Amino acid sequence: MKKLVDVLKKNSLQKTQEPKLTSRREFFKKTGTLSAIAATAISPLTLKGDDDAIIHHPEWGQVWGDPVTKNLYGMPSKYEHNNTRRYTKLLASGNYRASIAVTPIHESEGIITPNGLFFNRTHGGVAHIDPKKYRLMIHGLVKKPIVLTLEQLKRYPKVTRIHFIECPANGGQEWRRPQYNSLQFAKGFMSCAQWTGVYIKTLLEDLGLKPEAKWMLAEGSDSSEMARTVPIEKVLDDAMLVWGQNGEALRPEQGYPVRLLLPGWEGNLCVKWLKRLEFASEPWYAKEETSKYTVLKPDGKAIQHFYANEVNSTVVSPSPEKPWTDLKDGEIVEIEGLAWSGMGTITRVDLSFDGGRNYVEANLKGLVLPKCWTRWSYIHKYKKGERLLLTSRAMDDAGYIQPTIDEEVGMIGVEGVYHRNAVETWEVTENGEVNHVQIRS
Amino acid sequence: MFKLDHKLIIFSILASATISFAQIVKKPDIAGGVYYPIVGDQTHIYKVNPNAYGLKLYKGRVPTKNELKAWDKDVMPDGTGLPEGKGSVEKGEELYEAKCIMCHGDFGSGGGGYPALSAGNAYEVHETLKNNRWKDPEADGPIRVFGSYWPQASTLFWYIKDAMPHQKTKTLTNDETYALVAYILNINEIEIDGEEVDEEYVLTRDKFLKIQMPNKDGFVPNIDGKDGVENVRKFFSNPKNFGAIKVKESERCMTNCQKASAKVVRISGEGISDFHPPISVERSLPKEVNKEEKKSNFNPQKVFETNCAMCHNGEVAPGAKNKGAWAKFIKKGIEKVYENGIKGTNNGMPPKGGSSISDEEFKKVVDFMLDFD
Ligand code: HEC
Ligand code: HEC
Repeated sequence: MKKLVDVLKKNSLQKTQEPKLTSRREFFKKTGTLSAIAATAISPLTLKGDDDAIIHHPEWGQVWGDPVTKNLYGMPSKYEHNNTRRYTKLLASGNYRASIAVTPIHESEGIITPNGLFFNRTHGGVAHIDPKKYRLMIHGLVKKPIVLTLEQLKRYPKVTRIHFIECPANGGQEWRRPQYNSLQFAKGFMSCAQWTGVYIKTLLEDLGLKPEAKWMLAEGSDSSEMARTVPIEKVLDDAMLVWGQNGEALRPEQGYPVRLLLPGWEGNLCVKWLKRLEFASEPWYAKEETSKYTVLKPDGKAIQHFYANEVNSTVVSPSPEKPWTDLKDGEIVEIEGLAWSGMGTITRVDLSFDGGRNYVEANLKGLVLPKCWTRWSYIHKYKKGERLLLTSRAMDDAGYIQPTIDEEVGMIGVEGVYHRNAVETWEVTENGEVNHVQIRS
Repeated sequence: MFKLDHKLIIFSILASATISFAQIVKKPDIAGGVYYPIVGDQTHIYKVNPNAYGLKLYKGRVPTKNELKAWDKDVMPDGTGLPEGKGSVEKGEELYEAKCIMCHGDFGSGGGGYPALSAGNAYEVHETLKNNRWKDPEADGPIRVFGSYWPQASTLFWYIKDAMPHQKTKTLTNDETYALVAYILNINEIEIDGEEVDEEYVLTRDKFLKIQMPNKDGFVPNIDGKDGVENVRKFFSNPKNFGAIKVKESERCMTNCQKASAKVVRISGEGISDFHPPISVERSLPKEVNKEEKKSNFNPQKVFETNCAMCHNGEVAPGAKNKGAWAKFIKKGIEKVYENGIKGTNNGMPPKGGSSISDEEFKKVVDFMLDFD
């Protein structure tokens, strides 16, 4: 402690002087220790005198940085190591091979998830496919079936689109009560990226789809051979086979080298490590469209083939991970969030400060695209000691609005596991801490 | 109606150089959403090259008969893709105990993150599907296992053949798969054509096709038959069917939207907070873990207990420190034992036991198992 005081004193003495360099060695020693202490002990907000981070040349400002020959594939700053996917035992099966690692939404910027942070859900582990041995087969009710290599597939005219992919179990652990005091786990079973590939309809043009074809099977080549049935209508609309993710090849976690992308529809339908498409007149009944990914209602019947992720939203800032404990009374602050809909394009986000009793309109920001994360914003004047219940509620151009928890549960019960999109609430406490709560009657 | 649409599609695919995709879907979107057609050189705000459509591009080749046979292995409810073969419950039980029990438990009871394959008599368990903990969170929930929930048995055959055992898939023969299916039918107490699938039962393709699952009619909408797709569209055209609400923007509630009885429900206790790595938004340098220190922290026994003991318990695979059981492995020499363990075997040993430890660390765990005093 004493040392720190000395350092501070020394700082203010040196205020007007340029540091005298007696010897290179001594200088490095001095600035090294000074900035180390400054970084750990002095917050620029509480510092009364001059900020050491300004007065002194920082280490990095006077010596060579890395040569360009280092890190030929760039990595995030080593200070960003906490911005990472996370997993929990609750969602671990098969030695973390039938499991999920979720996206740190609380650290997300804009509408693109960096490839290394894109959520990772697998049923038999992440497969590593040799692109030279990659083959895609399309057959069934087509006049002329086809086998393609990766290079051949990439020769078709390309399409690039920005879409989110969401696991329909996003928020699915919280039907009966809130469970996660964390935005990452409450909403991080999703990510958003720019995808490049080809429309399946472009491929089908010369395969000659037969009129009786009503369903398409998509099958992965990983150890779980993840398979799902897709109605032909989606195939002929915006379904894509994608190999590009944010300007580079798909990551293994996202299905390298090729995955199916059904914009707006369940992540599970967007089969990774894709190897086969088959067309038929009857649907298949794969494990992930019977045992799982079906929504059980109170009458004992379950919805099968529940495709689109419905309109949804969340407050991102503040969040349990990024509270307002450092805000001053009267400080102007942006409340920011995300909205998304697999049914269409976000048209409106409303924000409530009292848990959904009363709403005001928030503003949409940036690109507002179909089946895509959309940023929204509200400027707020923070009152020290105020207690808030922040609830956001989105609408889309299909006309849907997020239900309240009571409304959704009233229609669908609490046993569905999947497709929960009721409004979510953060409690901001008197100290500015943020807790995940639910408002229900 | 739908057929007509398809004719239109086919017609445009074959006859026109630039397809107007707007023609294809005039009906409401099948999933209840908005359909954004490509009109001219645009869809929503994305530009497209209209000359990129309606082309003949066939860039691959036609698959051979053998290639189709090698990959087209799916099994459909009507028996398409279901191979000939047979297997008894007795044989199934034997296989189950050798290849499945370490994850799915005794009689398919599941647990520890592994799904149960049975919860007892399927017809009785089926009744629990109406349980809903909506009003009483402490009540019993529905039990969804193969016997009580799955609408089709074809799924089971297909899935086991393709995706089990989890650590080494596509290793079961058709007969073995029939036997395992028979055993799973047995522990779910399912009847085929009025006949109990008892210990003596031998399942064949013909008998398999007679299976009627208790929850066959438990799913909506009805996706089968010629109206399947239209049934789906109809289902999703009514928001109430799937728990959604539509409202005009001008009519959405802005004030007094909650019931007076609304209250704040909190996470009970810590909730789920077992996160890895622990949540932190700190931007300081990661703690340097000294390599030497890490090495000395490595505890082979602990790794054994969490990663190996589930199988190496003396039943599925040789137990730790059991000299007799390991004798036939060690005969090959320790290097071979290490190698087999690291690469995995066809007898059910996953590479490194499914753990993500280094080769050196793995060898230490093997040494621990082989430390016979
Ligand atoms: C190493 C552990 C392991 C072994 C061994 C194993 N399984 Fe599994 N099994 C799993 C996991 C994990 C899942 C869930 C996969 C998922 O979530 O997609 C599963 C799922 C299943 C399911 C689907 C259950 C449901 O209700 O969705 C069946 C059926 C099944 N296994 C049968 C078998 C059979 C038969 C064997 C033996 C031949 C076997 N398993 C061996 C780990 C294992
Ligand atoms: C999913 C079950 C399972 C798990 C988990 C598992 N093993 Fe095995 N292991 C087996 C089976 C089955 C065998 C083969 C038994 C046989 O061939 O009769 C085996 C064999 C081995 C062998 C002998 C290989 C050979 O053929 O020489 C070694 C060594 C071994 N295991 C080590 C481990 C270690 C170490 C772990 C944990 C890190 C582990 N196993 C985890 C099932 C498992």
